Amino acid sequence: MDVTVTINGTTYERDVEARKLLIHFIRDDLDLTGSHIGCDTGNCGACSVLLDGVLVKSCMLLAVQANGAQIETVEGLADDGALTKLQQAFSDNHALQCGYCTPGMLMSATALLRANPHPSDDEIKKALQGNICRCTGYWNIFEAVKAAAE
Amino acid sequence: MLLREVEYAKPSSVAEAVALLEGNEGARALAGGQTLINVMKARAASPDMLVDLNGIAALKGIELAADGTLTIGPMTTYSEILASAEAKARPILAQVCAQIADVQVRNRGTIGGNICANDPTNHLPPLVAAIGAQMTIAGGGGERVVPADEFFLGVYMTAVGPGELLTAITIPAGKGDGFAAVTLGVDGTCIANAAASVNGSLRIALGCVDATPVLIRPDSVDSVREAVRAAGLNPPSDVHASSEYRAHLAEVLAERAARQAVEKR
Amino acid sequence: MSNTTIAPEKTEIQVEKGWAGQSVPRKEDKRLVQGEGVFVDDVKRHGMGYLFFVRSPYAHAHITSIDVSKAESIKGVYGTLTGEEVAAVTDPFFQIAGAPGGNIQDFALAVGKVRYVGEAVVAVVAETRELARDASELVEVEYEPLAPLVDARKALDKSAPQLHEEAGSNLMWQGTYEWGDLDAAFAEADRVVKIDELHFHRFNSTPLETDGALVEYNRGTGQWTLHTNNQFPGFAAIMMGPAMKCGLDKLRFVTQDIGGGFGNKITSHPQLVVCCLLARKLNRPVQWTEWRTDFHLSMSHGNERWFHETEVAVKNDGTLLGFRTKALDDAGAWLRYEPLGGVIWAQVTPGMYRWRHVRVDFTQVATNKAPVSPNRGYSRLQHLWFTERVIDIVANELGLDAVEVRKKNYVRADEMPYETPNGCVYDSGDYAQMLDIALDLIGWDGMDARREDAKARGKLLGAGIGSTLDSGTNNFGQSRLINPELQFSGNNEVATVKLDIFGEIVVTLGTTPQGQGHETTAAQVVADILGCSVDDVHVRAGHDSYWNSHAGFSGTYASQFAVTGLSAVKGATEMLAEEIKKLGSVILGGVPVEALELAEGTVRIKDNPEAALPFFACGAIINANNAGLPEDLGVTLNCRYVYRPPFQVPDVERKFGNLTLTYAAQIHAVVVEIDPETGYYEIVDYAAVDDCGNRINPQIVEGQVMGATAQAIGAAMHETFEYDEEGNLLTPNFYDYHVPHALDMPPLQTGYIESPSPFTPLGTKGMGEGGGAGIHAVCAAIQDATGAIVTDSHNPYQRVWELLHA
Repeated sequence: MDVTVTINGTTYERDVEARKLLIHFIRDDLDLTGSHIGCDTGNCGACSVLLDGVLVKSCMLLAVQANGAQIETVEGLADDGALTKLQQAFSDNHALQCGYCTPGMLMSATALLRANPHPSDDEIKKALQGNICRCTGYWNIFEAVKAAAE
Repeated sequence: MLLREVEYAKPSSVAEAVALLEGNEGARALAGGQTLINVMKARAASPDMLVDLNGIAALKGIELAADGTLTIGPMTTYSEILASAEAKARPILAQVCAQIADVQVRNRGTIGGNICANDPTNHLPPLVAAIGAQMTIAGGGGERVVPADEFFLGVYMTAVGPGELLTAITIPAGKGDGFAAVTLGVDGTCIANAAASVNGSLRIALGCVDATPVLIRPDSVDSVREAVRAAGLNPPSDVHASSEYRAHLAEVLAERAARQAVEKR
Repeated sequence: MSNTTIAPEKTEIQVEKGWAGQSVPRKEDKRLVQGEGVFVDDVKRHGMGYLFFVRSPYAHAHITSIDVSKAESIKGVYGTLTGEEVAAVTDPFFQIAGAPGGNIQDFALAVGKVRYVGEAVVAVVAETRELARDASELVEVEYEPLAPLVDARKALDKSAPQLHEEAGSNLMWQGTYEWGDLDAAFAEADRVVKIDELHFHRFNSTPLETDGALVEYNRGTGQWTLHTNNQFPGFAAIMMGPAMKCGLDKLRFVTQDIGGGFGNKITSHPQLVVCCLLARKLNRPVQWTEWRTDFHLSMSHGNERWFHETEVAVKNDGTLLGFRTKALDDAGAWLRYEPLGGVIWAQVTPGMYRWRHVRVDFTQVATNKAPVSPNRGYSRLQHLWFTERVIDIVANELGLDAVEVRKKNYVRADEMPYETPNGCVYDSGDYAQMLDIALDLIGWDGMDARREDAKARGKLLGAGIGSTLDSGTNNFGQSRLINPELQFSGNNEVATVKLDIFGEIVVTLGTTPQGQGHETTAAQVVADILGCSVDDVHVRAGHDSYWNSHAGFSGTYASQFAVTGLSAVKGATEMLAEEIKKLGSVILGGVPVEALELAEGTVRIKDNPEAALPFFACGAIINANNAGLPEDLGVTLNCRYVYRPPFQVPDVERKFGNLTLTYAAQIHAVVVEIDPETGYYEIVDYAAVDDCGNRINPQIVEGQVMGATAQAIGAAMHETFEYDEEGNLLTPNFYDYHVPHALDMPPLQTGYIESPSPFTPLGTKGMGEGGGAGIHAVCAAIQDATGAIVTDSHNPYQRVWELLHA
């Protein structure tokens, strides 16, 4: 089936099988490997992207369902290598270790800060609940999001 | 990951969707996909065709009538319910939707999908059963309305038959509701849950203890535990809870939900 | 004597103080926050085929037939591999164990029999990921099911199903450890505390990235290139080379970024062999990604262990004299790294305590479950949990305060370095001081008031303590205590540091980091020695066994980088510094080397800093403008150093000797609140205090402490690999295997002291694994809240409810 999506400002048109998950389409067909896969039950959030501005897990929908959509992935955050405030805060606060969950975590935090520029501690936790990190214990991630919100 | 081959269709009207479902024996409706896609990843289910309901505007939205009755389109997402001013007419809806899974799932998952999946650990089947919602089902032969008590037939089975579609969920006015759960971690998967409502007589629906929500109608909050015991539950055992422990939780949670409901009345 | 100081918190980077000891931001971060890391599944090659494993649906069964013809007949399927083919072209993997465990025949795919649900039986390679899975469903395998063995406690019953006929029984390894004088200790005791059974459950760290590889075969040279996230390629190579009958140089391992390891990515050698064989057979690159369910079913579960018939000799005042116990360890179906777990625990035999008389009868058996392999805190986790559990049970039985019993029995700061009953040397530390800090952070003194407050809200509040010794830098000679025939001992790690033609300082490591920030901490050590900025130091990302010099024990595992890796970096950089000075001495007109210093990216005369030769000039002279230099200069500006820790071969007869070089420590304290009606509980406060000697990068150290804490919370409350009676794993995904998420995290306070190791070049100690402390602290807090003795490391809500209503 024909699928046309615009990811981080670039439009891609591809013929895909209906069964292909959006995350496989993004990673394998379009070579945007920043978004990751950490589970097969939609629990880990490593594949989180913004679909028409809405935070979703890209392993929980088919590529064909994204036809016509505007998608934002981690590759689109920094502007020509200049990190966003949030990305910089992740580094400053040691909010990542292996970096595997980080792209999804950044997308969730980006969605939060767009909707709610000054979240409370509880709002930050609630916003990141769908992203599993096995390295950091999340505490430094909370700090990073708080720092970026200041 | 890695689903079996499947056909995909995206109808733009209920009639078109019903026609597709009726015309293809192996077709299944795809709502938010937050359960079905997972099941397909495990290849535990492999429909021949997915009929994507995301393009049907008529299945979305929340209407509040003058008498306080809410009519919710089944393709309304949990996040839309959380953000809706109308949905606040029945506060328990947002209270429970906020506990379902996580932001990403709430952004995509729908009230209709949750109810029609009727996974025994889901939040909404016991809730709609307790608050006495009415389900409108459309099929080739037209529409019919089924009360929530009669809607749930088994695990992953509801009154929505082959070739049919849930088209609306109607919820009467009321504030005296409660919901209690023991979850795996904070706001995680339910190990046991209970929803209660006292708009009129007391109705409690117990989740996670049987294939469908178990509805009990104790005379008063003080007789809830007795009523749960009298229901003769034989809940399933799994890695998270034994049958005995679940039965115990059902008692405790039923009473807690009922007390919450009375408090909010 | 160790020198312990409570170091002040450092925030701003102060270059004049040197780079080591400061929270320098990580060099790795810039690529990782932009999604520009390269993880194994990101690597692609033209024409590659995707591999999918057909896995056993039975815990125990004979394979009566395999038919791959239908699968192979599909367009786009490149080929398959069966266990029979594997057995024809490879030898069984080398076994660490002697007889009986050493007799088992372990191949890369199941041969003749399957021994756990999820065991790989056939591999299928196809043009797309989806197609490979489709074809795998067409592979026809017929099984003749056998009775499964699920409970390790029944493994040695006469009626138990036998996993490995070659081994004669399910016994894989057995050994008796006895040190001191048990009879005298029990004679001296006022009381003997008896504990029938303690159980440490099965779980692992579930790194978010699962295993994987992209393997290419070069027919011309006979070499394989393995792009893989295996975290200990040195170990994988010595397992794979002999099995595949090839020299180790034929196996090139390449990694860049690894999405978490925690020990769980050490034993992927069977899957890598399958990829290699298929890359050769099909003459195309083979890509394998292990999906989450595959990982849970088959990869590196932590050792499940029981402690039976424990007896503890104690004085009425709480003084601990000795203990004896029978440890039973469940290895699962194969010995992939085992039976090393049968000795690794002995690194920390007495825990933090002054027990002098110890006997442990250790038995390891096979069961029809996934093979166990290292998991963060490997084998010490279980044993330390046991020692901590003993402390709290003894305190309970004697009616003593658990804090006082700990303080009375801790190895004291003035006893450091302290030789344990089995000859391990605790290098430095002050456990009592750490405990005081932890208690202070958690507000221990105000606990009674909080208990009352909780009671008023219908909750039960409890507080508990746990500790971990994060023993690091293995003496591999300990493997001889398992099998005296083995010829392993000591340890080593390599680094190279060079000054290139334009003055770039380039560092390569022998390690394979998975998020520990090696690029950053190595740069800190180099910058201090060369007198330059960390920004001027380029540490190559990841590892490539063709470029990166490596030694037999190279890798990233077992809490050792701060000792082995950084000592190698220090050694190589000091060699380079000497060479730069030698060159400077010649170029600056024969100034003696002693009169020179390295500063601001130059070599210069101490008394005349104007007379300076920039590094780029040094690099240019040696590499591209070297005519006329003295013949005997001996300067290459490309230096390799192998760090070898000072170890002796342990005494095999007495099972005695120093098994690790450093002993970092952690003490955790937690407060839980339990809903007595449901058993549901939450951790409401948490404090973790760490001592790993000199911290090169405090922020990275604290990050490790936090991560280990979160994993401990998960393991204590939710995470378990539990099987039903048929041997089906009940938690094969993140839906049922609940790992903590953001909302599950309690408030955390961290503290630390620094007790430099007297035995390491930088005063550092390896650290990172210290999660066990938290598992125990939760157990102790539940015991405190419920008043019931906790005998299991895993306490989900139901178990807590049962404790209250037993």
